[in-house]
Amino acid sequence: MAVYILKRLGLALITLWILSMIIFWVGQQLPGDPGRTILGNLATPAGVAALDHKLGVDRPIVTQYTDWVTKLAHGDMGSSYSFQAPIRPFITSALENSLKLALVAFFMCVPLAIVSGVIAALKSGEWVDRAISVFGLSLLGLPEFVSGVFLIMIFGIWLNVLPVGATPPAGADPFTQVFHLILPAIAIACVLFGYIMRMARAGTIEALNSDYTRTAVLKGLPTKTVVRRHVLRNALLPTITVVATQVGYLIGGLLVVEYLFHYNGIGSLTFKAAQAKDFPLLESTVLTIGVVYLVATLIADITYTLLNPRLRLGGDT
Amino acid sequence: MHRDPKKLDQLRVGRSELENHVIDEFVAGRLSRREFLRRGSIIGLSIPALGATVSACGGANSSPTSSSAPSGVPKAGAKLRIAGVVPTSAINPAQIYDEGGLTMIQQTGEYLSFNDPKTNILKPMLATGFKPNADASVWTYTLRPGVTFNDGRPMTADDVVYSFKQNTDPKVYVDAASVFNGVLTNDGVKKIDDQTVEFNLEAPNGNFSYLISSDNYNMIIVPNGTDYAKWQKTFVGTGPFKLTSYQANSGATFAPNPNWWGGNVLPAELQHIFYPTQQPQITALQGGDVDIVNLIVPAGAEGVLNNPDYTLLDTKSSQHRELSMRCDKPPWDNKLVRQAMALSLNRPEIAQALFKGYAQLGNDNPFAPFFRSTDTTVAQRVQDLTKAKQLLTQAGLPNGFTTDLYTEDYQEIKNYAQIIKQAAQAIGININLHIDTQATYYKDHWLSGIMSLVDYGHRGVPNVVLTATLAKGGAWNAAHFADSQYDALVKQYVAALDLSTQKQIAGQIETLLLDETPWICAYYFDSLSVCKKTIGGVVTTGMGQIFLSGAGPITA
Amino acid sequence: MSAAVGDVPVAAGSGESDVSHVRREQWRELRKSKTFLVGATILAFWIVCAIVGYRVVPHTPFEQDLLRTNASPSTAHWFGTDQIGRDVFARVITGVRVVLVVAFLATVLGTVLGTALGLLTGYLRGWVDEAISRFVDALLALPLVITAVVVIAALGPSNVTVTICIGVIFTPLIARTVRTAVIQERELDYITAARLRNESALYIMLSELLPNVLSPVMVEFTVRLGYAVFTVATLSFLGFGIPPPTPDWGDDIADNISVVAAGYWWEVLFAAGAIASLVIAVNLVADAIEKVTDE
Repeated sequence: MAVYILKRLGLALITLWILSMIIFWVGQQLPGDPGRTILGNLATPAGVAALDHKLGVDRPIVTQYTDWVTKLAHGDMGSSYSFQAPIRPFITSALENSLKLALVAFFMCVPLAIVSGVIAALKSGEWVDRAISVFGLSLLGLPEFVSGVFLIMIFGIWLNVLPVGATPPAGADPFTQVFHLILPAIAIACVLFGYIMRMARAGTIEALNSDYTRTAVLKGLPTKTVVRRHVLRNALLPTITVVATQVGYLIGGLLVVEYLFHYNGIGSLTFKAAQAKDFPLLESTVLTIGVVYLVATLIADITYTLLNPRLRLGGDT
Repeated sequence: MHRDPKKLDQLRVGRSELENHVIDEFVAGRLSRREFLRRGSIIGLSIPALGATVSACGGANSSPTSSSAPSGVPKAGAKLRIAGVVPTSAINPAQIYDEGGLTMIQQTGEYLSFNDPKTNILKPMLATGFKPNADASVWTYTLRPGVTFNDGRPMTADDVVYSFKQNTDPKVYVDAASVFNGVLTNDGVKKIDDQTVEFNLEAPNGNFSYLISSDNYNMIIVPNGTDYAKWQKTFVGTGPFKLTSYQANSGATFAPNPNWWGGNVLPAELQHIFYPTQQPQITALQGGDVDIVNLIVPAGAEGVLNNPDYTLLDTKSSQHRELSMRCDKPPWDNKLVRQAMALSLNRPEIAQALFKGYAQLGNDNPFAPFFRSTDTTVAQRVQDLTKAKQLLTQAGLPNGFTTDLYTEDYQEIKNYAQIIKQAAQAIGININLHIDTQATYYKDHWLSGIMSLVDYGHRGVPNVVLTATLAKGGAWNAAHFADSQYDALVKQYVAALDLSTQKQIAGQIETLLLDETPWICAYYFDSLSVCKKTIGGVVTTGMGQIFLSGAGPITA
Repeated sequence: MSAAVGDVPVAAGSGESDVSHVRREQWRELRKSKTFLVGATILAFWIVCAIVGYRVVPHTPFEQDLLRTNASPSTAHWFGTDQIGRDVFARVITGVRVVLVVAFLATVLGTVLGTALGLLTGYLRGWVDEAISRFVDALLALPLVITAVVVIAALGPSNVTVTICIGVIFTPLIARTVRTAVIQERELDYITAARLRNESALYIMLSELLPNVLSPVMVEFTVRLGYAVFTVATLSFLGFGIPPPTPDWGDDIADNISVVAAGYWWEVLFAAGAIASLVIAVNLVADAIEKVTDE
């Protein structure tokens, strides 16, 4: 078991290393000169060149990369060009905000999606199943900004019952904070709902058709007991994995939703950095997203393995 | 008018030639009262002296005051919440150039004088008075005594000299370089004594006092030796407020400065909240989360524009867009083609569509209609498609041509660019639009694009736009316009001291630019802010600054 | 997204005639599926709009009436007008063209490249497979939208960039599915036989393996198409699409969302509805195809 976890960890580290190289290389391709970004649009070319030299961005790319990674390893993310301030506080506060939003989305969506999926599976083929399935499928394909626009129009403007800005007033209590996060959380949760619901449904159906369920039914156990003891446990296992693997996806959705609802999270920070050609900030946000994703996947992998003894040796993929 | 020659003679004693000239013009009836007050303030006549002259001439003796729309006396002790925009970069007073940044520095920082937006008249701020010499090439400023910075240090001439030297430093990037270029160098700033500073200009400049007033938003006075790059940690200044906390990307809080020279500060706290766009600002105002939205554009603000629950603070401003055409590259090197393009636009309709009428028409020159020196007798250009097509035929392009327009995604510009494209289509010019982020546009296309559409903020006088965007080799000359006659006229205009001369030269410049049309300016749009009707005493400027020392709840 | 890919079981048998027989069966199944019919009808509607839309709309999507801006829906303008007085109905009907063309080309590109990569890695395996897998893992650690935003910020937004960007990101996703299918196939007798006949690797991959993994490729294609529409719309909403004034749903929504609070809901609602109907239609079709090939 320990060997397996170590192996996964090693693979994740290698992936991270490759990712950091890709990000760094792409960042170098960004148009816009760091010196120019800092000094503004009207600076003289000589001033820009002098600052570029001071920043060290005129050095060979390999030197710059090594320098960057070494500093990162010591927890130093460098300074943002556009804010001219250390990056770390921006990342931590953005990550904290995104986490809040993601948590609200998760808690609204996951239980509901699992229950819907299980109900659809138990009523497989009936109209309830079809309704839930088509609904889930529709949500699945809806871009977050489209569902976000619908939500803003319905709840924010016509009914005027929920705030359309995700950022609460400064010093707001937790309740107010959550209140402001409801609309963006629903926008994110829509797609997630579709996925998890489908996985839960498929998992349940598979478990219902499995040998051990049939055996249990043949043994004369009541349906409820069968479902609770055998079906659910086996059906939820793949669902948990899906929830974890969707973390990366969730962050992608965050970018759009945070932009739409004007929320200072890791997604909107990434977008801002890309627009401003703020290379160090962009590197840090993207790498942070990569780390969050890899950690979540790792946890999902390990949890899945722990819960499912049959898979302890690890599969091909 | 009942004149009192004796009193007038007393007033003239000790006045400079320039000051006497202004008084003469007023006495002769060539200047209106309002105009006299404005001109007088530019050249440093004190407000009492102006008032005395007016009364000596039989006018009512009222000193100019800023009028803020709602009546009622604001009450002290309020916590005001202001919606603003996110500053685009670090708050370095010498380098900021954006709305968010300039609003931040003027919360705690102050200028030598304040350009009152309602009257366009300079009022004393950190300087109690100033005087030009006979040809306006040397200006002497007297500083206000007893002013202390919010860190306790007293303000002296050393601090003023330091601040100006930093903002005219040729070795580093400073935003004010665009203003000071050709006007004031680093060496031109001199301390005379602790309360007096002298500015020796590179060339005579009749409007210099405007160029270093609050119109030059970077020019706040900071203590001698302040590191501008670290200013955002302290927000040190002389103003009515001092910093409680600043968080890049989210907001800033300020507390009253108990030692402010201006006396009582009404608000108990200012909370500036940054928003990325207007829509959440309006929503926050409607939802009661903020009291004031500083700077709005009419599109999307309909809910608060004509709503009795809110007060609209409407300030005429010279903010505009310049659509430049490369005068050195075909087909735009032919002025007939440029004229044709300018004739294709229906300006009243554009102003209505983009600004719901909160704008004034532009006439393809830097003289905004409300500048006193503008010659308003020069005919306004109107849409004329037939003539435009004739001009194109005359230029040898009867079938039109295809060209590229580069611009930035900023405020109404994206819509404006599409209107321009459609208008040009009507006379056979096919424009491909390239709308980039501001970062990309400014770096790659602004000064090089064959057609380039750029934003310009408010300035109290046209000098900077006249020189930087149109003079040969000007720093922002995106049109690559070079005309020796124009350059000579601008030189005369800048040096001119009295209004009638300025106006006369302005007329010539306007006529010349209408003919040459290096760039098109279809509108000057108002600077609009909005607050709850229960809040009074808010002062905003065409620049987008917001002064809140006298703001508070009122009972209507 | 990886969840939607899954490991699609391969339905194909081991001979040419079997394959075509199975195809016919599946097509018959498909036509009976209500999900498929609903999805295909909506999709067909939008394809027609993409082809003839510009010619049938009562106003062009470009003409402006600056004195009738933000006009509410009326008989003259069924979906009202936008901020510069353009007909919203015309912009919605014609706006589908950009989305469909870019999404389709991107998916085709991704499918072709992904299938090639999947065949290669699945058939050859070894260190090539391992190296490519690691690289793909690294790429997939970033959400699609984030990768696209970074890449497009670097290359500059244009339709070509968006197409290539989405196509390239799809490549490893599709390659994974194809690789799984190939790994299952390559152990089967007909491949072993071909290898014994000393056929070249290229021949085996293209003539033997490819026809038998077409089913999962087909499923992948439709699933990806839905996601491509999703991504194209999202990217144009973020400002990375075709330059204005060409009608583009995502861009039109982004431009007009700021005036919705002022009551001009028609300027975004119809475009949002259009995107929703298109992605749902593609997903319904994809779901139906997936189900049919599953059985």
